[in-house]
Amino acid sequence: MKKTLTFALAAALAAIAPPAMAKDVINVAIVGEPDTLDPMVSTKDVVSIVTQHVVETLYTFDGSWNVAPLLAEDLPKISDDGKTYDIKLREGITFSDGSKLDSADVVASLERWMKIASRGKTVADKVTSVTAKGPNAIEIKMSAPYAPLLSLLAFSNSAAAIYPSEIIPEGDGQIDKVIGTGPYEYGEHVPDQYLQLVPFKGFVPRDEPANGGAGKRGQAPDEIRFIPVPDPNTRVEGLVSGQFDFADSLPAESYDRIEQSDKAKPVLLQDFGWPVWAINHKAGLLTDRKIRQALLAALPFDDMLFAAFGDDKFFKVDGALYPEGWAWHSEEGADLYNQNDPSRAGELLEEAGYDGTPLRILTSRQYEFHYKMAEVAKQALEAAGFKVEMDVVDWATLGQRRNDPALWDIYISHSPFLPEPALTDMWFPSSRIGWANPDKDKIADAFVSETDPKKRAELFAKMQKANLEDVGFIKVGNFNALLGEAKSLEGVPPSPWPYFWNATKK
Amino acid sequence: MLKYVLNRLFGMVVVLFLVLTITFVIVRVAPGDPAALMLGPDATPQDAAALRIELGLDQPILVQYGKFLLSAAAGDLGQSLFFHRPVLSVLAERAEPTAFLALFSLIFSIVIAVPIGIYVAYRRGGAADQGAVSAAMLAASVPSFWTGLVLQRWLASDLGWFPASGYGGPGAGFFDRMGYLILPSIVLGIVNSALILRFTRASMLDVLGEDYIRTARSKGMSEGRVVLRHALKNAAIPIVTVVGLTFALLVSGAVVTERVFNIPGMGSLVVGAVLRRDYPIIQGTLIVVAALYILINLCTDLLYLLIDKRVRY
Repeated sequence: MKKTLTFALAAALAAIAPPAMAKDVINVAIVGEPDTLDPMVSTKDVVSIVTQHVVETLYTFDGSWNVAPLLAEDLPKISDDGKTYDIKLREGITFSDGSKLDSADVVASLERWMKIASRGKTVADKVTSVTAKGPNAIEIKMSAPYAPLLSLLAFSNSAAAIYPSEIIPEGDGQIDKVIGTGPYEYGEHVPDQYLQLVPFKGFVPRDEPANGGAGKRGQAPDEIRFIPVPDPNTRVEGLVSGQFDFADSLPAESYDRIEQSDKAKPVLLQDFGWPVWAINHKAGLLTDRKIRQALLAALPFDDMLFAAFGDDKFFKVDGALYPEGWAWHSEEGADLYNQNDPSRAGELLEEAGYDGTPLRILTSRQYEFHYKMAEVAKQALEAAGFKVEMDVVDWATLGQRRNDPALWDIYISHSPFLPEPALTDMWFPSSRIGWANPDKDKIADAFVSETDPKKRAELFAKMQKANLEDVGFIKVGNFNALLGEAKSLEGVPPSPWPYFWNATKK
Repeated sequence: MLKYVLNRLFGMVVVLFLVLTITFVIVRVAPGDPAALMLGPDATPQDAAALRIELGLDQPILVQYGKFLLSAAAGDLGQSLFFHRPVLSVLAERAEPTAFLALFSLIFSIVIAVPIGIYVAYRRGGAADQGAVSAAMLAASVPSFWTGLVLQRWLASDLGWFPASGYGGPGAGFFDRMGYLILPSIVLGIVNSALILRFTRASMLDVLGEDYIRTARSKGMSEGRVVLRHALKNAAIPIVTVVGLTFALLVSGAVVTERVFNIPGMGSLVVGAVLRRDYPIIQGTLIVVAALYILINLCTDLLYLLIDKRVRY
C-alpha cells in the first residue's frame, strides 16, 4: 500500500512539474493557429511570422526597411526605361526536399504569385512577362515603370515565395506540403497546440552580416516552437511563468506586470502601426467632401488615442502618415490633423446641407482599441452636430460587411507602417473604399512610376497633403506594440514580424 | 427496461436531428465570411468569392443542407474549412483533454462537496454549515474565468507549481499531458462543487428528518451507520442526478477554462470555429456534445436502478 502511494505521489509530482525542455528550444507564443503554411495565399501577420523561417523570397527588407537581396544575388539591374528587371539568382541553393533552386522554380513561383496572391494580383496587369535567362537568372518585363515592384517581391505576407516548380499545383490549387529554402523546415505540427520548426541541414546562408531580415540568417536555435495562444492574458502569464521565451501582441495593461517579472521583460515596438478609419467613397454620407472635412475637423485624435491605449507610452499623436525617421516622413498638410474643432465642423456640416442622416461607424471589439476610440469619437462628432450610429460586430462580420458599400460609412482597422506606401491599397480608386480624386490619382500614378527615391518622397508628401485635404482615409495616430521576451533571450530584433533564426538563450 | 432505453435512444435521434437543423440554420444566418477570414485583412472581395466557390459555400443553402443531412446520416460530419480534415477526426483529437478535464473536475467536486455536504447537513445550523453554505454561494457566484485567471497567476506564474497553460509539447507522455489539466480541473471543480455541495446538503437534510432515520437511531445504531448507510443511500438519487448533469455540463461547458489555460479541447475548438466561421466544426461539435449530453443523462437514469430497487422502467 505504502509503495503504491509513493508511486502515485511520484507520478503526480512528475505530472505537475513543467516538462523538461532542451536548452535551445525557443518557445514562441503567437496569437493563433496560422490558417496556412503557404504565405503566398494569406495576408495575415501570424502566417508571415511563422513561414518566413521556412520560405524565402527573392528580396527582403533590411533593418532600415530598404529592399535587400535574399535569393537574388543582388539588387536587380533595371533598364533605363524602368521596364525591364534582370535578376541574377544565387547559386548552390537547395530546397528542403533536396532539389536545386533554378530559374524555372522562380518563374513558376512568380507566375503563381501573380495569379493567386492578393499582392501579386495588384502587379499582374503591369507585368508583360517573366522569363528564365539561363538556369540562374530571370527577366521581368513591365508594361510601364512600377516602383513598388521590389517591395512587393520582398514582402513576407501574400509573399512572392519561391517554391520548387514540382510542388506548384495547376490552377488555383493549394500546395500539399510547403517546401522552401529558408533556415528551418516544418517539423511536427499539432494544430492549436504547437508547430515545430527544425533546422534545414542543406540551408545556405548569405555571407553579409545580419541586418534586419537581410544578410546572414542563422540556425541558432535547435528548434523554434510556435505555440498558438489566442488569449492575450494567457500569453502574458505563460511568458511571466517562463513557459514562453517570446510572446507576440500583448495587452498594453500588462506592461507593468511583465516589467516586474524576474523572468521576462517587455519589448515596446515603437511606431508599430496606425489605426485607420476607412472612409466609404462609393456610397452614403461621406461621398460629400464637405462632410468628410467636417468629420476630420471634429475628431479629437489625442483623446481618442488616450482612450484607446491609456498611457502615452503606447501612442503618439501624429498626423504624418509615416513617423519621423522614415524616408516617407513629411509634415505636409499636417495642420489639418487633430483640429478638434466642433464649431468649424458644424459650419462645414451646414455648408454641406447635412440633413441628420446617421454616420454609420462599423467597428469590432476584437481589437478593443478600435472600439474605445470610436466611443470617444462618437461623443465629439455628436457635439459637432453629427448623428452617429455605431455598428459593433465581431471581426468576421466586419470583414464581410465592409465589402458592401451600402452598409457603412466608416470602418475601423489598423495597419503596420508598411515599407512601401503603395502597398496601402486605399490610395487607389480600385480599393474597397473607392477613393477617386483626379489630382490625387495623378500624383499617385506618378508615385508608382517614379524610381528616384528623392522624387518619390516628394510625391508622397503631396499625396499625404491630398489625403488630409480631401479626407481620403483617416490616420488616427501612431501606436506602439507590446511584445514580451524572456530575459535570457537574445538576438531577436523588434519587428512587426519577429524572427528567431539568430536567437539564443543565455 | 429495454423498451425504455430504446425509446430514449429514438428520442435522441429526434433531438439530434433538431440540433443539426437549428445549428445549420443559425451558423449560416449569422453574418461573417469564412473565406474572407482565411485570406486575411488585405484580401479582395474577388479573392474571397473565389475561395467560397472552392469551399462550396456559393451553393444555395438548401443544397448545402441536403448534402449535409445525407452525409451526417452516413456518419460523415463533413470537412473542416480551416483544418482541411474530416470533422470527426478533428473532434476525436480534441476529446481527450476535454474528457479528462471534465472527469478530474468532477472527481475534485465530488471529493470536496459530497463529504462536506453530508457533514454540514448533519451539523445543520452550526458554524461549519453556515461557512460551507457561504463558501458555496461565493464559489457559484464568481465566474470561472476570474477564478482561472487568479489561480493561474498565483499558482502557475508566481509560485511555479503548475504549468501556466497548454497541453504538453512534442513527445509529451500521458502523465505529462494530465499534469497540464490539474490546475484547470481545480478551477472548474471549485465552481461545480458549489452546486453539488448544496444539493447534497439539501437532500441529506430532507432524509435526516424522515421517520426511518429516527427509527434507526432508536434501535441504537451508531450515528455513522445511520448517516452513511441509511440517510446517504436514500439521499443519493438527487445527488447522482446533479452529478450526472454536472458532468454533462462540464463536457459541454469547459469552454472558458480551456480558453484561459489554452487547452486544445472541444471547448476551445468550438470557440475558434465560431471566430473562423468554420461551419462544419461548429455543427459537428454541437451534435457530438448534444449526443453526449443525452447519453450521460440516460446513464444517470439507469444508475437509479442500481441505487434504488424500487425504481422500475
